[in-house]
Amino acid sequence: MLRLDGVRLVHNAGTPTEVVALDHVDLEIPAGQFVTVVGSNGAGKSSLVGVVAGTHRPSRGRVLLDGRDVTRLPDHARAAAVARVFDDPLAGTAPGLSLADNLALAGARGRRRRLLPAVTRGRQAGMRADLAMLGLGLEHRLADPVALLSAGQRQSVTMLMAGLRRPRLLLLDEHLAALDPRTRDRVLDLTLRTHERLGCASLMITHSMRHAIEVGDRLLVMARGRVVYDVAGPEKAALTPAGLVDIIAGLGDAPSDRQLLAG
Amino acid sequence: MRYLLTDTLIAGLPLVPVVMGIYLVIRIRQDFDLTVDGSLTLGGALAAVLLNHGAGVPLAMLVAVAGAAAAGLVTTGLHLMFRIPVILAGLVMSIGMTTLNLRLLGRPSISLGDGGTLFSGLAGLAPDVRDWLTVAILAAFAGVFLAAVGYLLLTEIGLALRATGVNARMARAQGVDDRRSLALCLALANASAGLSGALIVQSQGFADSGTGTGTLLAGVGAVMLGELITRPGGASRVGRVIVAVLAGTLVYRLVLVGALRAGLQATDLAGITALTLVAAVALNRYLPELGRSLRRGSPARRPRGAAATVKEVG
Repeated sequence: MLRLDGVRLVHNAGTPTEVVALDHVDLEIPAGQFVTVVGSNGAGKSSLVGVVAGTHRPSRGRVLLDGRDVTRLPDHARAAAVARVFDDPLAGTAPGLSLADNLALAGARGRRRRLLPAVTRGRQAGMRADLAMLGLGLEHRLADPVALLSAGQRQSVTMLMAGLRRPRLLLLDEHLAALDPRTRDRVLDLTLRTHERLGCASLMITHSMRHAIEVGDRLLVMARGRVVYDVAGPEKAALTPAGLVDIIAGLGDAPSDRQLLAG
Repeated sequence: MRYLLTDTLIAGLPLVPVVMGIYLVIRIRQDFDLTVDGSLTLGGALAAVLLNHGAGVPLAMLVAVAGAAAAGLVTTGLHLMFRIPVILAGLVMSIGMTTLNLRLLGRPSISLGDGGTLFSGLAGLAPDVRDWLTVAILAAFAGVFLAAVGYLLLTEIGLALRATGVNARMARAQGVDDRRSLALCLALANASAGLSGALIVQSQGFADSGTGTGTLLAGVGAVMLGELITRPGGASRVGRVIVAVLAGTLVYRLVLVGALRAGLQATDLAGITALTLVAAVALNRYLPELGRSLRRGSPARRPRGAAATVKEVG
């Protein structure tokens, strides 16, 4: 589904502050696979997200979605295939707009927007049904500005929005990091259900060793702009958080305090 | 005091489109576009020149609107191609357009001939009747215009426009082309200014190269007054936005007309505009706090929430 061919990303090329963010990344993720990614700060996780989402254009190499070369497409032009959930739970929704407006905006992702009313009675019924499945009582608050919702509620709504319009890839950029433990479990559960329902590929960046091991089919470790460790199946299941931290530490990268604390 | 109401309406209603346009830029895109100063004059100049050359009213007004919209697109182009901030691109445009407008008019001010404006049918009527019919024609334009913009904002395209102003990163992730949204916003804002220019020129009977000067600032003042009155609160409440624009424009004009009636000179109006703006900002800042402290002690108001209806977005 997603394929990266020799992707290299250099920031500030040719200047004294030049940084090689991604150094020849080859990666193929088939449809239906759930991949978790860990790595220390500066390992290239965010750059990987940027290259896949289209916010960063690779200096070299190609990005393919369903066999189509999208290397030069900006993020908004890839939105039909790639649904994103950000690390900041407030970033995925528009605070001043109502819940209904936010859902309607996502409901037209990747298709031509028309000169027809965005929020119709029929669509509101669909939105209420979708929101009811979150179990947060949000189905009664369609007209409320999203700014009135809590961070956890907003991340749940962003997750719901990502699942609309059947994306081919869910791109989850540390989307659980800023949530409290209970909300985190709820949003993770919603993430897995969305992945199952869509049968899409999912790429989840995480700082939690436990999530990286327990969630998904395959685990990648990144360091210095490369994918240095790639495990799946029983080998992945046999990993322990401490062992994973050792792997990262053994690469010469110091795991961040946050990763150690999150265990 | 007799003509206070009609004077306010005749001076205020033609400005409703441009204030709506300015609202779109400053509140929905969170940006400032000074091009409107030039576009308002351009719209007026195009309409006046075409009418004086015997063109029909619909054609003259259409060209005025289209020309002003094109100015907005040029500003967008300057911003996107050369990475000039919108406010600076607009400033450059408004200065450049001063020359364009003077060239168009041929001299600083031209008067419209007797025949063929929106209001020429009213020429022989009694002053009172003529004033009220003028108000009716202007109100019809303002009403249709506000309804059209209100509808546009509620459509999928309008929703995308509102979203880019609130959270551009999220809008792009939802597939909205930021650049196209900006082009739409500035084209619409300047088209609105062009329409206002064409209405002003026809209602006052002459076109002046200085008509548009200070439009943006006046519009910002009107928007703030309107928000003070209706508290629109968020880009999802399109109905309230429209009421805010209408009320703000008219109250703002009422202040100026009132100032003239109170004996101030036309040369004092710039100062009154500035004072009104400062007062609106100050009131916007402190009135809610004053309201809160007055309410304290009375039963706590429920926050807007579960009880809010879906009427305004449906």
